[in-house]
Amino acid sequence: MEKESLFSAKNLKLLTDPLGRSNPVTVLVLGVCSALAVTVKLEPAVVMAISVTVVIAVSSVVMSLLRNTIPNRIRIIVQLVVVSLLVILVDQVLRAFAYDVSKQLSVFVGLIITNCIVMGRIEAFALGNKPWPSFVDGIGNGLGYGLILVVVGFVRELLGSGTLWGYRIIPSSFYIANGGVYENNGLVILPPMALILLGIIIWIQRSRNKNLVES
Amino acid sequence: MNKDSNKYIYLYSTALVVAVAATLSIAATLLKPFQQKNIEVEKKQSILLSVHKAADVRKAKNKRQYVEAEYAKYITDGFVVNSLGEKQEGSAFEVNLEEEAAKPAADRKLPVFVCTDNDGKPKYIIPVRGVGLWGPIWGYVALHSDYSTIYGVVFDHQGETPGLGAELSTPDFQRQFEGKQIFDAASAFTSVKVVKGGHTQGKPHAVDAISGGTITSQGVEKMLMDNLSAYLLFFKEQQRAQEAERRRQEREKKEKEEEEERALLQAKQAEAARIARRAAAEAAAALQSDTTGAAPAVQSENTPVLEQPENL
Amino acid sequence: MGDIVSIFVRSIFIDNMIFAYFLGMCSYLAVSKSVKISAGLGLAVMCMLAITVPVNYLLNRYVLSSGALAWMSESLRDVDLSFLSFIVFIAVIASIVQVVEMVVERFAPTLYSSLGIFLPLIAVNCAILGGSLFMQERGYQTLGEAAAFGLGSGVGWLLAIVGVAAIREKLAYSNVPAPLRGLGIAFIVTGLMGMAFMCFMGIKL
Repeated sequence: MEKESLFSAKNLKLLTDPLGRSNPVTVLVLGVCSALAVTVKLEPAVVMAISVTVVIAVSSVVMSLLRNTIPNRIRIIVQLVVVSLLVILVDQVLRAFAYDVSKQLSVFVGLIITNCIVMGRIEAFALGNKPWPSFVDGIGNGLGYGLILVVVGFVRELLGSGTLWGYRIIPSSFYIANGGVYENNGLVILPPMALILLGIIIWIQRSRNKNLVES
Repeated sequence: MNKDSNKYIYLYSTALVVAVAATLSIAATLLKPFQQKNIEVEKKQSILLSVHKAADVRKAKNKRQYVEAEYAKYITDGFVVNSLGEKQEGSAFEVNLEEEAAKPAADRKLPVFVCTDNDGKPKYIIPVRGVGLWGPIWGYVALHSDYSTIYGVVFDHQGETPGLGAELSTPDFQRQFEGKQIFDAASAFTSVKVVKGGHTQGKPHAVDAISGGTITSQGVEKMLMDNLSAYLLFFKEQQRAQEAERRRQEREKKEKEEEEERALLQAKQAEAARIARRAAAEAAAALQSDTTGAAPAVQSENTPVLEQPENL
Repeated sequence: MGDIVSIFVRSIFIDNMIFAYFLGMCSYLAVSKSVKISAGLGLAVMCMLAITVPVNYLLNRYVLSSGALAWMSESLRDVDLSFLSFIVFIAVIASIVQVVEMVVERFAPTLYSSLGIFLPLIAVNCAILGGSLFMQERGYQTLGEAAAFGLGSGVGWLLAIVGVAAIREKLAYSNVPAPLRGLGIAFIVTGLMGMAFMCFMGIKL
């Protein structure tokens, strides 16, 4: 087999595809759960995206390295164990060094274990490919997931709290309480709005890319 | 070895379990001190916030050092009382409210923190814990030295709805509590109610509920009532002791004044007596010098001085 | 007792696994086109939750949480195994799913064949792990409370998925704009139903 260069076109495609055409959340419908719950503010959304990317990438590499040694009967269990190990490590590190954000993320860090993207990519890619492409695929999917999280988080925090990353964007003087005419959109902070925002993102994406439209 | 044979599966599983367990245990042990420190710093920060200190934590370069320094500076004491108001052994900081809540009321340890403010007056900080709509809520209530007027509060929650129940952790909601009183004029315990219109209708024992967060507001009210009433005997005892101390001081002051008055009166009397005796002695001497000589005059001057103590 | 009923009802309507926390969305979206299959999947998830949450509660209480091992020996009081929670919970869930799969295959083969791939996938359904994690985070005090929470969450999930499946079945006959067809409209409909469920928040229990 020909040795592929590290940054060949094929590998780069692994990185860029999930950002658009095969986005794990909007196209493959994976990892939707946590994509919505942690996006009330931008900061937890970004931390979550980074955590998920790390978990997907590293677990893809590990599974790819182990792929020829795993007994078939316990394949799913081994996957679960490896992913759980990584998620626990990420959780412990967050609690030690980013305590405030880890409190905001609470149970959703643990739920990365069942995040369909992780298991999905391992089954679909890592178990049949070499470590480096698996790593790149993992990063790519993590970035695709992160993109959606950041967009939803951005909209929700800006419209719902008037801030971004905790810094005030909409000046206090605009608010009704301070004599202005503006008021934060309370609905956007609540869970259902995240679902609707995601529906709108899918709408936009499919309008631009006719191939994705369902018949 | 055949990948699908039972022997291989067992060996593989065992190796996997051992590797995973080892990695996790090492990581957890290494990271535990950091995690513990974070929890401690957060607790200290909450306590400080209830007495309006450590407000600039966001601007601080090293958050941990800032909080520790402020805590060391302002929180000068922490002790534990039992439900009867008697002081117990133990550090207030170490008490875990969740554990204590599971014990029967008579066995609970009730921590109290003491803050010595810039003006030297002590504030007493009581931790509180309760249940909101979706999970636990907790906080700290800081009382003035009369154990009735609230100096400040800080509340936090785990999973209340942002914009609704989660408002309890905002400064706007917490500011309402300043100046409210938990005992009324007749020294009966009222706590602070959290009801619609509570803040503005002139009541010193109520604040406005969170609009849209009825259940959370009720949770806050119940939390305050339950937790503060556990300290009732302690508060009453302190208030009684303060009242007794105040009366004692007043009495002492009065006694001292009376003492001073009496001493003044006596001094005046003594002075008057002395003047009278001297006058008498001079008169006697004058009389005697008419008949004998100068010597007896000296003697009679001395004797009045020696006689005086008997008069007193 | 009132507490248990309150937790049960709250976890069906107010803390609904799908509408409030979005847990279990993946399988839900893939499956919810037909009411019959959704009902089957919903029942399976409900049973899983009702079994795994109490079991994990016991494990948490007597093995994992800080000081839990004290019943074995006083010297173990300082041991805090909570960092193993995730892996223990997921292991328990995977095992129970395996057992249930075998039971279903043996006693209800038709159900087994219609559910197909979904049974093993329930093991990685966020809702099931989520149920255990929420149980741990909220610190329920008794087995009864944990069981009420598990069962209630399951019922809530079942209601949600059947409801949205019914709507999607009807939607198949409407004129949805092409880019929104399928996934897009499913999200928006679920969001609208979530809003409707939010009015239950006012219930005084």
